[in-house]
Parts: sequence; C-alpha cells; structure tokens
Amino acid sequence: MATYTGLDRPKSKFYYQFWGFAFVLGLCGVMALLYYSTKQVEYTWRWNRVPQYFIYDDKVNIRAEMEGTIISIEEAGEDVLVTVRGDDGEESHTLPQSSLLLSQGDYVYAGDSIGFYTQTKPGILIEGLLLTLEVSALAIIFGILLGLFTGLARISDNPALRWGAIVYIELIRGSPLLVQIFLWYFVVGTVINSMLSQYGIGQISPLWFGVMALAIFTGAYTAEIVRAGIQSVHRGQMEAARSLGMTYPQAMRRVILPQALRRILPPLAGQFISLVKDSSLLGVISIRELTKASREVVSSSLQPFEIWIVCAILYLFLTFTLSMFVQYLERKAI
Amino acid sequence: MHKPPIIDVQSIDKFFYTPERLQALNRVSCTVDHGEVVVIIGPSGSGKSTFLRCLNRLEYADSGHIIIDGVDILDPKCDINAIRAEVGMVFQSFNLFPHKTVLDNLTMAQMTVRGRSKKEAEAKGMALLEKVGIAEKFAAKPDQLSGGQQQRVAIARSLAMDPKIMLFDEPTSALDPEMVGEVLDVMKNLAREGMTMVVVTHEMGFAREVADRVLFMDKGEILEQGAPEHFFTAPTLERTKEFLGQIL
Repeated sequence: MATYTGLDRPKSKFYYQFWGFAFVLGLCGVMALLYYSTKQVEYTWRWNRVPQYFIYDDKVNIRAEMEGTIISIEEAGEDVLVTVRGDDGEESHTLPQSSLLLSQGDYVYAGDSIGFYTQTKPGILIEGLLLTLEVSALAIIFGILLGLFTGLARISDNPALRWGAIVYIELIRGSPLLVQIFLWYFVVGTVINSMLSQYGIGQISPLWFGVMALAIFTGAYTAEIVRAGIQSVHRGQMEAARSLGMTYPQAMRRVILPQALRRILPPLAGQFISLVKDSSLLGVISIRELTKASREVVSSSLQPFEIWIVCAILYLFLTFTLSMFVQYLERKAI
Repeated sequence: MHKPPIIDVQSIDKFFYTPERLQALNRVSCTVDHGEVVVIIGPSGSGKSTFLRCLNRLEYADSGHIIIDGVDILDPKCDINAIRAEVGMVFQSFNLFPHKTVLDNLTMAQMTVRGRSKKEAEAKGMALLEKVGIAEKFAAKPDQLSGGQQQRVAIARSLAMDPKIMLFDEPTSALDPEMVGEVLDVMKNLAREGMTMVVVTHEMGFAREVADRVLFMDKGEILEQGAPEHFFTAPTLERTKEFLGQIL
C-alpha cells in the first residue's frame, strides 16, 4: 500500500483510507440532501409508473368488417376462429379465446368489437432513445466523412479548397447549433421542400434536416481535429513515403492517415459524445428524440423528477457505450 | 564509350526564408557517375543535407538543373514520383512506418508504386531482410527493433524498389556507437555491388574506405573534392585542413 509515486513526500496509508471515506461520505451526503429536499416539496415518487414508458402491452381490438351473424366459433388451442356470415359473404377472425366477447348466433354490425389481443410494444422513451441513436449514428458517419475531407482540404495547397475549408469551419464554429438547426429546417428545409412540391416530389422529413445540421456542425470540429492529427505525424513519414515514389494521396492514405487517426481517437470520441448530447436540441424541429419524448412523457405523467433522471441516465448509457467502444478501438489499434 | 553521369547537378541555388533570407546552396555543381560512391562531409549548416535532399526534390532547388538519369527533375513537367522510385533515400531518423510490420514496410511501396503482387513483394522483401541480416524480425513492429536494426530495415525498404541511386542522409548519426558498424557494413556491401551512392556522413573511416570521391562543403558551396587518399592526406585549402583537423 501507498507506493511512492509523487514528487512530494510519501503519503501514509491512512491518507488514502481517510479521503476515500470522505469521498463516499460526500456522495451519500449529496444523495441524502436530494432526498431530504424532495421530501420538503412533498413530491411523490412513483417509480412504478416509469416502466410503461419503456415497454407496454397494447390492446388491439378485433372488429367485424361486415354486418352479419356469427355462425360458428371453432376452438384451435388457445385461439378461436370466429366466422361471421353476412348478406354478401363470410369473414373469419382468429383471436385469443380469453378475449372473446360474443357468442354464436350474435348479430354484429360492421365495426363491432369481437375480441382483442395484446401486443408488447416499445414505449415512448425507447422510441426516443432509438431515434436519438439513429440520428446520432447518421450524423457521426456523415460528420466523419465531412471532417476528413475538410481536414484534408484545410492543409491542401489549393487555395480554393483551403479557403473553402477555413470559411466553412469558421462559419459553423461561430454560430450556435440551435440557430443552425433553425436555419436548416425553417430556411433551407422550407426552400427545398417547396421546390420539391413544385415538381411533385415527396417531402424530406425533418429528421434529415436534423441529421444534416448535426453532421455539418460536427464536421467542422472534426476537420480541425483531423488537421491537428495529420500535422502531429512527423514530417519524416511523408518524406519517407514520397521518397519511395508514392504519390501524395497514396502516402496520405497508407502512411499518414492511419497514424493520425490513431492519435485523434480520444478527441474524436469527445466530439461524438458531444454530438449525441447535442442531438437533444433536435426536439425543436419536431423530431421526437429522447429529450422531446421525455418532455411529452413529463407533461402527460406529471412525474418530472423520475422521467428527467431516467432521461439523463439513458443519455449516459449512450455516451458511456460510445466511450467504451472508442477505448476498445484505441487498445486494438496499438 | 563513356556513359553520361547518372547525376548531373548544374549550378543550383537554394534559399530558405526563416524568415530572414538564408542561402543554403550557392551555385553548386557536381556530377556522379554510374556505380560511384560519393561521400559529402562538412560542418553542420554547410548545406550538405540540403544538397542531398535536392537530389530527389524533397527540397526544390530555386535555380539551376538537376539531371537524374537523363531527366531534369527541376522541370515541373517531369514525373517526380517515377524518378523518386529510382532514387532510394535513407534518413538519419529512419522514418520507418511505425504502424506497419517490418515486412509491410518493405512491401508497401513495391505494391503501390511498382505494382507488384503481394507475393512477389513479400519474396523480394524477405530476400532483402535476409541480406541486411534481420529476416527473423519480419513480423516485428519497428519500435521493437534497435536503432541499428531499424536503419537496416530502412535501407532494405529503399532497396526493395530496385533503385539506381541511393542517397544516405547521415544514416548513422542517430545510432548508439555499437550499432554504427552493422549499418556501415550493409552500406559497404552495397557499394561493393556497384550501387551508385551519395552519402552525407561524419564517419571518416567509411569515407576513407569506401568512397570513390569525397566532397567537402561549407557555407553552401563545394569547396574541395578528390579521391579519399588524396583528400585526407593532402587537402589543398586551409578551410578543409581546419575542418579535418577538428574532427580527426
């Protein structure tokens, strides 16, 4: 215990025990304070109401499609086969026996409920989580491609490419993401969708404008990370590759980028974790990602404490998984 | 019939702006014949590395002509990548590709530049590793090798391209003293096989033993040149005597 690592005098073993204990105590203190303060506002915790927003059983009614008489009810294991005969033919429905509401000889009108079955469905929070995942994954993929291209353009000799990259990076980094999302959806989106409708082509959904806004925002930051990574590779590497007769693109692809990408994995991970969290802004253009889904649940359930805590934990789950994945890549790359 | 020189440098200048203007090369001319081993010596900052780097256009000379095997590489229209494939270069800091294995270091350019198949490139690579004496390390990563081994891999990497000329930029300066010998041995064998070599080095023993000609550079100019026996025993210029007096 207490192997000496620092530049100061070695610590006694009680040092670690004491401060370790102090940390746990502090943590418990914060929890207790939180609990105490919610008691003060007389908030009723109802954690049992939370699971239904993850998964729930939906009751689907089975209705008659025509007017007629039920002529037969045949049992088939757990299910029953109900046959209705009307003026212009017969129809049959399969449904669980336990849910059967009618009996043989009953007269039904079109739209009458014969029975129902239950279906397990993902709740609104899970749907939001999946949408957040989808939007983030798409934005990360496009962001990497855009960032890689812009990073390379940024260090290119070609003035058009270089200045283009600089303008793009400065513009995007200089305005708030929320404003950019509004611009993409309400300005660019309106223009594109009205043009599309003029030509009678279908509309582009808000999701794609959201992905575009996020990808372009991330691309600018990724470009600077990529540029720094490329420049961190010793220039001797490029010289060695070129002196063997490799062209610039060959040397970039086979020698410089593989080394640069390894080094920029940690900052890239940080950037993409930011992106997952920034996707919470997409609620403003009616994309029902996790945050917007949570807001809807809060307004219907009136359980803000539980839902927002769960929402934060779900984000933590996403970002932590991403961070673990990148750490795995880093370890594999060495 | 005398073959034309394989390297013909005609009056090149090179300026650096750092930011003050610095003339690194001042009207340097020289020729190197097929199979000749030329050693360049001189104090640091004399422009010898710059001169060497001009020969495969890692530095672009500002004026003059550099004819490599009949092609003027200062002509912007020349295919510099094709020239570089014929001119191997060995660096002071090895510059092996650290993310690739030793064998992959040798095969990469063969496949991308020479268009050889993987099998062909690997056979060639293994033969060269055998030649420089580290065939057993083919699967290692460069940072698992000693400096001397890395430099021998770097030489093998250049040789894999079947170059007509080899340039060496202080190949032993970054090595521990006990590893200098193994690298110099590889270079001596290469010279004996008739490779055209231009070597910037501080190894006077190597210059004496292997060089056909020694060039002495100072302040961006070639001050004196001659066969090593003449050069080391009876230099003509005071500056050369002074330099040799300091290092020998």
